[in-house]
Amino acid sequence: MVAKSFILPALALSSISAMAQSTMTDAKLDSIEKAWSRELNTVVVTGTRTPKLLKDSPILTRVISASDIRMADATNISDLLQTELPGIEFTYSMNQQVNLNMQGFGGNSVLFLVDGERLAGETLDNVDYNRLNLENVGKIEIVKGGASSLYGSNAVGGVVNIISRDETEPWRLNINGRYGAHNEQRYGATGSFNVGKFGSSTTLQYYSIDSYDMKNSGDYSRFYGGHNWNLKERLTFRATDNLKLIGRLGYYYRQRNSQVATRDRYRDFSAGLRGLYTISDKNNLELSYGFDQYDKSDFMVDTRSDVRKYSNVQNTVRGIYNHTFFDKHILTVGGDIMRDYLQSYQFTDNGHRSQVTADGFAQFDMNFTSRFNVIAGARYDYFSEASMGHASARLSTMYKLWRLNLRGSYSGGFRAPTLKEMYMDFDMAGIFMIYGNPDLKPETSHNFQLSAEYMHRNLNFNVGGFCNLVDNRITTGWSQALQGQVYTNISRVNIAGLDANVSWRHALGFGVRASYMYTHEHVRKGEPYTSSTRPHTATVRLDYGREWRNYGFKLSLSGRVLSSVTVDEYTSVSNYEDIERVTYPAYTMWRLNLTQNVWKGINVTLAVDNLFNYVPKYYYSNSPTTNGTTVSAGVSVDIERFFSR
Amino acid sequence: MIKNLAKKTVVALMTGIVLSSCNGLFSNIYDEPAESTVSDYGFVQKPTDSTPGRVYIDATDYRRWTYIDFHTMTFDTLDVDDPEPKNWDIAIHRYDAKTNGGAVLETGASGFAGLENMPGLAQGEFVADEWTTETIVTDMSTMMDGYLSYQESYYNRELSKWLNVDKSTMPPIYTPSNKVYIVRLADGTHVALRLVSFMNGMAVKGYMTIEYKYPFNI
Repeated sequence: MVAKSFILPALALSSISAMAQSTMTDAKLDSIEKAWSRELNTVVVTGTRTPKLLKDSPILTRVISASDIRMADATNISDLLQTELPGIEFTYSMNQQVNLNMQGFGGNSVLFLVDGERLAGETLDNVDYNRLNLENVGKIEIVKGGASSLYGSNAVGGVVNIISRDETEPWRLNINGRYGAHNEQRYGATGSFNVGKFGSSTTLQYYSIDSYDMKNSGDYSRFYGGHNWNLKERLTFRATDNLKLIGRLGYYYRQRNSQVATRDRYRDFSAGLRGLYTISDKNNLELSYGFDQYDKSDFMVDTRSDVRKYSNVQNTVRGIYNHTFFDKHILTVGGDIMRDYLQSYQFTDNGHRSQVTADGFAQFDMNFTSRFNVIAGARYDYFSEASMGHASARLSTMYKLWRLNLRGSYSGGFRAPTLKEMYMDFDMAGIFMIYGNPDLKPETSHNFQLSAEYMHRNLNFNVGGFCNLVDNRITTGWSQALQGQVYTNISRVNIAGLDANVSWRHALGFGVRASYMYTHEHVRKGEPYTSSTRPHTATVRLDYGREWRNYGFKLSLSGRVLSSVTVDEYTSVSNYEDIERVTYPAYTMWRLNLTQNVWKGINVTLAVDNLFNYVPKYYYSNSPTTNGTTVSAGVSVDIERFFSR
Repeated sequence: MIKNLAKKTVVALMTGIVLSSCNGLFSNIYDEPAESTVSDYGFVQKPTDSTPGRVYIDATDYRRWTYIDFHTMTFDTLDVDDPEPKNWDIAIHRYDAKTNGGAVLETGASGFAGLENMPGLAQGEFVADEWTTETIVTDMSTMMDGYLSYQESYYNRELSKWLNVDKSTMPPIYTPSNKVYIVRLADGTHVALRLVSFMNGMAVKGYMTIEYKYPFNI
């Protein structure tokens, strides 16, 4: 399996038919059949919280495989998602903090999970994406639309679940390095072993990049460099055939060099223990405890003092029980209790607040026939600080007709007001105050999706439409009474769109994948169009790869195409009368990547980024951070392969 | 068996919860913001023959000038609309500086050592204050409405170079020059100054720590 790891994941990208080429050798046919079989048998967990075959899941799940990640050569989740999916854009908000827009939803409306666990800490409504590096990631699952019936708050616009690689080999050791423009350096190492009942996996990554000036003027004129460290340890203990315990520890450190006199520092400490107990063939139980602490501090260069200004601590206990009826219907019930503590410089006198959230959920996965599947789920969440509860529901169904998979889904999403949004008391550089609002209502969404997927031989085509009715969205607005910005709920926003994906692969090694998305935010007639979501976006990848006994290569050309967007922007924070219409230009970004398996476990990657030398004339906050074409080179060595025959 | 295992798991989980502080761990890896508790402003450290003196002021308020008198080692903080005090040498408003009829020379040095009586200093180009109408910002709150309120005032462009504030991005990029400035005072004496820090111990900007040497022979 290890020996084939170069070609198999690459082939698993899209549908392959082993019958396509009569000229191929038996060995090649065999490997393609395996790849096809692997594709068909891809197991996903995010949509249902229990393992389910991707092809059988009524909840449309997009999987970014380990081979996709390798080909994208991305460092963190933001680079990867933009490369792989249309409708996703990472831009800058104030102070060059990264801001997500996923089909009209911001960073706080998309739930990011690592192995199913949510993340503490945020900056300007977004989690720290640098924390989500791709070292030793097995796959990433993306479920679009609301998912609060399973995950509770924040799963308004979608869920992104980053799943660690499952280590099954006796031992494995990978080291890798990459060097690129602006002295960008990335070094990673993963070591794992399985001995008897014990297993261990250790991952370390270091990343650094210099600050540099942008070529033209703009909303930002300099990219702030810095460096990150990321260490993860995962221990597995198979106590009995029925009981598996998984412990984890994590440390993350990032320093950003935005100022001469100070450095922005971010740290995260995480730990967890999970017990998986198989009671019988029909019953299993999962209990877990998770700890996550995300800190921000200012390091003052002259005094060398490092003063903490923000700490978010989340302690979560969870239980999930599954019961299978008649060997085909699965009932899932569960609940979480989470304590959320937040100390922040944005609170009065750098104070702190905390709250407890408790929830219970149930889901019934009904497989009536092999062609017809229905999933129904509901969840209730309670928030102590606001003394507020919220119920969410889901109903998803899939019907297989001929070569078509037809899916239809309703899902509810919500986002509870955060401690920050309830209690902020922050002086924005003397310009205005921002006040929290303890009376906020939760933001809610009703999401409807319809899709059809055609799968035949080496072709996969799917087309879908979605509609999100979002109510009580939480944002800041000017308060005449307080003479400042205050968090408030705003009226309904409707977001609708269409997406289409096609992937095709020729058995000789050619592959094509193209995805397109149209997103439209509906506003009432006469009201300003304030959404900065680009209406048309697409991603494309063409690749070609071959493999011989001692050499293999994969050449890929990937691109993203983003249309222009015209936005009505208020010219004042204290009145909503004067509007300026701004058009943000369209652009495309292309990358050429050549990965060569030069000998045994040695892979060399050469890449040209921004192939067509796009340089923004003006750097808007949603312009790509580029000064033109750059090149990078990387090496990855799987040391255990030197010892394999 | 199941019962025992469940019990043990629950105990392990509860122990974990108790052991990990709910309000966070590792506070000891950070520094305590000692200076944030400082309530003493003004001449916080007197100069000796070998060490410069130190002035620490709260210049966070856009509506206040802090007037510093090196002759008497006193300071006064007044509203921008108030008349200037009788005796003062330099005044600071946020990062802006002005002199009381003086002139300023920026040296290439980042410390006082060896600077005194350095040949050529006296012949340097001392820059006098200039009258400004749109430099001294007194109200930032209208910024997002597209305008700012200013005080018409004298302003010393040379001394204000001690901190470059690039406002082309939000938040601005602050670059201290770290250089020593020599101020020729109205009475012909000189004071040498260096801006040590523009933040307090909590990294809040607008708290100015200035090292000085007075009188300073050139």
